[in-house]
Amino acid sequence: MFDLALQAEPAATWTALAPAILLGLTGLVLLGIDTIRTDEASNALLASVSAGGSLLAFGTAAWFLVAGTGQERTGGAITLYGDALVVDGMSLFFTLIFTIVTAMVVVASYDYLRDHEHRAVFYSLVLFAATGMTLLSMANSLATVFVSLELASLPSYALVAFLKNDKGSVEAGLKYFLIGAVSSAVFAFGISLVYAVTGSLVLGDVAAAVNAPEMAGVLGIGVLMMIGGFAFKTASVPFHFWAPEAYEGAPAPISAFLSSASKAAGFAVAFRVFVEAFPLGALPAGVDWVIAFQVLAVVTMTLGNFAAATQEKVKRMLAYSSIGHAGYALIGLAALTAGGPNGDVLGASMAHLLVYGFMNTGAFLFIALVEHWGVGRTFEDYNGLASTAPIAAVAMTVFMFSLAGLPPFGGFLSKYALFYSAIEAGFWWLAAVGAINSALSLFYYSRVVKAMWIESPSGDFEIQSRPVGLYAAVIFAGLGTLLLLPAFGPVIETAQTVAATLF
Amino acid sequence: MVPPQYYLLLSAALFCIGLFGILTRRNALLFLMSVELMLNAANINLVAFSNVWGNVTGQTFGLFMMALAAAEVAIGIGIILVLYRNFDDVDVTKATTMRW
Repeated sequence: MFDLALQAEPAATWTALAPAILLGLTGLVLLGIDTIRTDEASNALLASVSAGGSLLAFGTAAWFLVAGTGQERTGGAITLYGDALVVDGMSLFFTLIFTIVTAMVVVASYDYLRDHEHRAVFYSLVLFAATGMTLLSMANSLATVFVSLELASLPSYALVAFLKNDKGSVEAGLKYFLIGAVSSAVFAFGISLVYAVTGSLVLGDVAAAVNAPEMAGVLGIGVLMMIGGFAFKTASVPFHFWAPEAYEGAPAPISAFLSSASKAAGFAVAFRVFVEAFPLGALPAGVDWVIAFQVLAVVTMTLGNFAAATQEKVKRMLAYSSIGHAGYALIGLAALTAGGPNGDVLGASMAHLLVYGFMNTGAFLFIALVEHWGVGRTFEDYNGLASTAPIAAVAMTVFMFSLAGLPPFGGFLSKYALFYSAIEAGFWWLAAVGAINSALSLFYYSRVVKAMWIESPSGDFEIQSRPVGLYAAVIFAGLGTLLLLPAFGPVIETAQTVAATLF
Repeated sequence: MVPPQYYLLLSAALFCIGLFGILTRRNALLFLMSVELMLNAANINLVAFSNVWGNVTGQTFGLFMMALAAAEVAIGIGIILVLYRNFDDVDVTKATTMRW
């Protein structure tokens, strides 16, 4: 594969990478601005350049998706650099999630970073991580998977530990880094075992060689280790225990970024790698990864939701709920069968990740808003917030009910589509476990709503300011969650169409 | 030629040494070194099977992995530095302001 990498690609082909290129360039431009302008006023400039760059990337990806770039009606997936990268409907769909979450996070960071130094570094690290995630969704070779996984992870470690005089942030960064380093080493060893058995890193060539390998046992261990690497990125069992710490200690916009975009990136690459490199029906005994994902999905859902129900701090509750949602999204891999309605299952999971990108980012940004006001972190501290900040409280209520999957919000339809597709594929028990967990999750999500609207304020607090950026991002996320209800039809249709082309 | 199974045994042994180090060491720097051992175990596999299969894919990816490992250590040392400034120690079990 590498000997082909130096060949010039036709001009029309590399432009398919435009969203990733735009994100990377914006990151570099931010560093450039920082070197030229060092005055205090540059925060607004930096935030608007970052938001502009990510929205431009969003627009490009949306345009490509509508125009049919890399999809069946215009000649199929575009592969670049000797099959190392591929631009198709699925990578564009995931790029939409990453870029819109990035845009919301950088707009919210405008207020968060007002009193901090090194703002340009913060914004550019967010954009570099987003570049890595976009490349992760395009990776078509285990080599590019690993490189872009690190490109997405390394800035994230630094961002979690960004508040370098804050013990919680440093502790969170340390734990995130240590577990990330171990899981990427495990992932790398898994890749090396797969290479040892198949002799290639390109997903298509791996798929051609896994039919009757000489060392099926080694391949099985390699696949299992790669599942470990994905479990870290998506915050699923067994590599989930960094998530509550990292989300609680990190700056709140970064918690939003990691729990929405980074998780979606993990799923993007897991979907492609397992579906393309280890196709169902052609696997030797002992390499059946679907069973592994079924176990992981059930355990992750249950553990995330039960742990969330016992939390006292809202941010930590959201962290565990994010683990629970990783479990729901894992149904996309757990309910696959050879010859089943696989496109529907995978597409439903992708649509859920898009809706989740709005509602979960919004919920974490609401936490950022509350932290900005200096309100405490527990459920009791949220008592009576609705009387002092009604608009933000309405948005948070939308996020909570949508995360729980109540009918009039986007989260209901995406969960319904996900569970319905699982039943369609014959996995009614996966859907049942998911539905029971959703019912349980209503308990702890409604605690937030109850505290905000019904309880009377425990202490007096004055809201000093109405931060424009945070408000804009929270309201945008709320509108997105609401608008995804009428717009869910086209979304799920697109997701299932682009997912079906993988099989 | 050495049979390929021997390479797998060597790399598995190195990987397990690294894993043992991670599970027993409390010093963050030694933890990082153990991670390096695990990454190098993967590199042994890549280079050895590059030879077995007769293509350079594995060797080239091995070079990529070394560069990435160096980048990861650079971030890691930075985090360990702020850890030392905040907690006056590089013991990974000392940083417990949040409960696990």
